[in-house]
Amino acid sequence: MPAPGAIKTLIADDQQSMRSLIRTSLNALGINQTREAADGEDALRALLAQPANLVITDFNMPKLDGLGLLRAIRAHGPISKTAVIMLTGRADRELVQRAVQFGVNNYLVKPFTTATLKEKIEAVFGPLE
Amino acid sequence: MDPFESIKATFFQECEELLTDMESGLLAMEQGDDDSETINAVFRAVHSVKGGAGAFGLEELIRFAHVFETVLDEMRSGKLHLTDEVAKVLLRASDVLADHVAAARSGGSVDEGRTVGMIADLQGLIDQDRAAELGLNEDGDTSAVEEDFGFVPVVLSLDEPAADAPEVDVAALMAAAAAPPEVPTADGAGTAGAPFWRVTFRPKAEMYAKANEAALVLRELARLGDVEVALDASAVPPLDQLSAEQAYLTWTIRLSGDKSEAEVREVFEFVEDDCDLEVTREGEAVAEISEPSFAADEDASASAVEAAAAAPLDLDALLARVSTPPAEPAAPTAPAPEPVAAAPLPAATPPAQDPARLDVAGLIALAEKASQDHAQTQSTPAKAEPKADQKAEARAAAGPATAATPTIRVDLDRVDRLINAVGELVIQQAMLSQRVFESGLARSSDVALGLEDLELLTREIQDSVMAIRAQPVKSVFQRMPRLVREVADMVGKKVRLVMDGENTEVDKTVIERLSDPITHMLRNAIDHGLETPEEREAGGKAAEGTVRLAALHRGGRIVIEVQDDGRGINRPRVRGIAVAKGLIAEDAVLSDDEIDNLIFLPGFSTADVVSDISGRGVGMDVVKRSIQALGGRISITSEPGKGSKFSMSLPLTLAVLDGMVVSAADQTLVAPLSNIVESLTPRAEDVHLIGGRDAVICIRDTFVPLIDVGVALGFRDTPLPPASGVAVLVESEGGGKAALLVEAIQGQRQVVIKSLEANYQHIHGVAAATILGDGRVALILDVDALVTTSRRKAPRIEKRMAV
Repeated sequence: MPAPGAIKTLIADDQQSMRSLIRTSLNALGINQTREAADGEDALRALLAQPANLVITDFNMPKLDGLGLLRAIRAHGPISKTAVIMLTGRADRELVQRAVQFGVNNYLVKPFTTATLKEKIEAVFGPLE
Repeated sequence: MDPFESIKATFFQECEELLTDMESGLLAMEQGDDDSETINAVFRAVHSVKGGAGAFGLEELIRFAHVFETVLDEMRSGKLHLTDEVAKVLLRASDVLADHVAAARSGGSVDEGRTVGMIADLQGLIDQDRAAELGLNEDGDTSAVEEDFGFVPVVLSLDEPAADAPEVDVAALMAAAAAPPEVPTADGAGTAGAPFWRVTFRPKAEMYAKANEAALVLRELARLGDVEVALDASAVPPLDQLSAEQAYLTWTIRLSGDKSEAEVREVFEFVEDDCDLEVTREGEAVAEISEPSFAADEDASASAVEAAAAAPLDLDALLARVSTPPAEPAAPTAPAPEPVAAAPLPAATPPAQDPARLDVAGLIALAEKASQDHAQTQSTPAKAEPKADQKAEARAAAGPATAATPTIRVDLDRVDRLINAVGELVIQQAMLSQRVFESGLARSSDVALGLEDLELLTREIQDSVMAIRAQPVKSVFQRMPRLVREVADMVGKKVRLVMDGENTEVDKTVIERLSDPITHMLRNAIDHGLETPEEREAGGKAAEGTVRLAALHRGGRIVIEVQDDGRGINRPRVRGIAVAKGLIAEDAVLSDDEIDNLIFLPGFSTADVVSDISGRGVGMDVVKRSIQALGGRISITSEPGKGSKFSMSLPLTLAVLDGMVVSAADQTLVAPLSNIVESLTPRAEDVHLIGGRDAVICIRDTFVPLIDVGVALGFRDTPLPPASGVAVLVESEGGGKAALLVEAIQGQRQVVIKSLEANYQHIHGVAAATILGDGRVALILDVDALVTTSRRKAPRIEKRMAV
């Protein structure tokens, strides 16, 4: 039963509006420790500087996309065990398969509700308190 | 505001940027750019619009964006190839998408027929079977069917150190990531790291002989994006064989970013003949970085001092080095001291990454090294700064970690308030100078000298403040491709728009008012300037006409040119119309230029004969008037069969003006310097009265109207005897001349323009007002209005001024 407040989360999306939406949803779930990054590279730097428990990343981003970010996270010992939930714009089987291959923890199809987001996080960490 | 609404507002702002990105990408594609990065960028933009639309439940937008996105995805995966036709359809689709966004924003809707038609056109790009397979023919149901994937979430425990979680097969994950990143599916765009340029730069001795420096070139290159430079010094001979005038060094540069090859090559423009240069595009960043030339960069570093100066360490490369097995610190077995500030988590719930167990410190150290290397190079873009600093990180945690750019957004009101204050400062400074001068202090006195410095400083502040308001004309230009497409479609012509000088800067108020005249001139160029494709082919021209829109700075003004390669002005016809409308005498002798410029005359043509006119001229007087209102002028040059060129020139700012201060009927007035040709004292015998009322003056055998400013503005009723005043010969924007009769000229001065309309009301013959050094209000003459009135012999101005 993880406390939502303890889940340090990094949101990676190139759109400010999407980041705000995700953050609003997370806050509604009690996940208040959130940071934001505007692309995969930015996210990676942020993680290197300070690790997180959970990364919610968009797939489609400039510089380094979601899959690239996932691979980079998994490839680097110190942060390799960060949970990663991938956001996709479409229910794309190939994309999800690739993400699985690179060790994604879960995925989430846009648009999503706060309830779906909760489900996806709970599937990774167990029921939230 | 409701947080949801405010996020939605943010989304629509993003949409504007996304649509701009999309259009510039599509325009590049129209020019034949089928680079995967370009296609990807367009796809990403449409995809993001759709994603946001989904989140906000904007159904119509989603439906259209979905079809558009699907077609782009086909293109991205190489199943649909870029042709001229495809690019045109995509461009039109981008217009429809923009309309959908606008409709969603304002709560309106887009014409259903247009949407359906566009969707059909987009579907037409894909063959039927494939479209069915993609579900495109169904009505855009984009909802996810997640369970189909048989996806099993990977569980992590937050309460225990993740390393112990049996569900996560770390070794396998590592192996997967370290495996050669060959594309698992045909659609490879996603898995690769960002593509980059590999530049091999081998200067020859000649390059150095011409005093070119490799370091400067490399530094220049580093401005284009993140670079990583490897120096190959293996060709350097032993010292006793080394010739100081020979070249031995080769650099290999890995440049990331989305620059075009031309931009990369441009850096080498001045040295390309004196060096061996190879520029290649490579895509698989993660795999390529571990190539020896870069892995060995530390060994090479001693001799690569120059290179390092221009080459900030690339984080990707750093990470790649960390990941390659030999360089990998044995993370689990090498405990590092726990960084105190690194992860302040509640003690009850240890973080997934226990800092004591993992070598976060080592990674941070590496990141800090990268940061220091960055700090050593001034040319590093700020956005590439790694956030290694813990404090910076804390700040980033507090706010969104968006890429920092060296710009700030400032409310326009604040800028205007500043500009206003500076305007007052300029006036105050002028007043002070005048008072000091009048008080009889010597020019060489400390006070006078101090005032001179103050004046310089004031001028500098004024220029700087004006520069804040300056913006590139791009914001206007970027709307034009769409206009051209639409007008071309409407009149059935093929048009290619070429734009130049989009980054030319001009005051914001001028920019806002440029849109209409440019729109009008472009419409005119396409509608009347260009021939139909058939006519063009018959005339031996390419079926596709070219319209060029350019902006440039010339002589303190901005010049906008609209040029077409169409039929040019039909001079006999224009002349005929002008005669028929009584604008010129039947036997008037006019030069070609004068005939061309007849189209600007008011009354030359009216909107209701648009379709009858084969030449130019529809509403051009309107264009001319709106440009003149900005203190600009417009002219045309034309060559029959070859095309026409409209040039309009405008002042860079509407806030200050160089003027000549004159006095008339005890009033102080300002005539804009740009209108003044010369000034002279009239001789009584040169002044003649026409019809006993309208005075003309003969200046070097040319008669021009003589306007008594005092009478024209209603300051007095009886005209000034010409010989007792000064005649200032002025030229209106339209080229019409007149002589303004005033009592005396006081001097030339830069004045700050104060709107009369805003403070009083519009007065014919007066453009604005200003405050002079002595604190008095002076009116700025509207020379064009005065000249036009006198030439048209309109009834005299009856209105009396209340000043």
